[in-house]
Amino acid sequence: MLRISKENYIPSLLIVALSGWLVPGAGHFILEEKKRAIIIFVTIVITFLTGLYVGSIGVIDPVGAWPWYLAQIMNSPAVVVIGHLTAAGTYPVYGRPNEIGQIYTSIAGLLNLLCIINAVYLAHLRRAETTGE
Amino acid sequence: MPTQTAFIIASFTAPQQIGTSPYSLLWLLPLVAAIAVVYKATKLPTITAGVFLKEVAVLFGSIIVFIAVTALVLCVLAWLIT
Repeated sequence: MLRISKENYIPSLLIVALSGWLVPGAGHFILEEKKRAIIIFVTIVITFLTGLYVGSIGVIDPVGAWPWYLAQIMNSPAVVVIGHLTAAGTYPVYGRPNEIGQIYTSIAGLLNLLCIINAVYLAHLRRAETTGE
Repeated sequence: MPTQTAFIIASFTAPQQIGTSPYSLLWLLPLVAAIAVVYKATKLPTITAGVFLKEVAVLFGSIIVFIAVTALVLCVLAWLIT
């Protein structure tokens, strides 16, 4: 479990936030909230993969759809790798599959952002509880 | 095994065929379920199966009812205007 003290307060919050971004739910996992972590991981990964399956990896388009990309990138750094593959426009996707894919992957990213913020807030509360502030 | 892996990866490189029929709106249901699950996973003080499922079902139903009511109001407005 991550020990949060006065000395390592900011680094601990950064570790929690970064873990939650690297792997959805990992921020909660290192705070020993394992049930929450598993629920978050499974739900976000399934939502993201459903979006990719419906619209193909072409829905991650850092050039032509960068506002969506900003939300998608909150899923994981893996989105950057996929964005690098699709930036040249080799996986075109149009119409309803594009809409559904973009919405699913972007909502998954925004949900992960919610979880990251929640994990950081939980870490902050743990520190307040241990130091009595 | 490599064939299966290649098949799985290939299925993510071409989009599925989804028409613009009213039924395509049903794609919102899994998304609403995902939103309800993640939101309740962050909000409940303790996670127990019974309470969690009940809370998720209530939130899922609330969102769907709200969407249906909004759609109905918009339909009535469109009917009145046109």
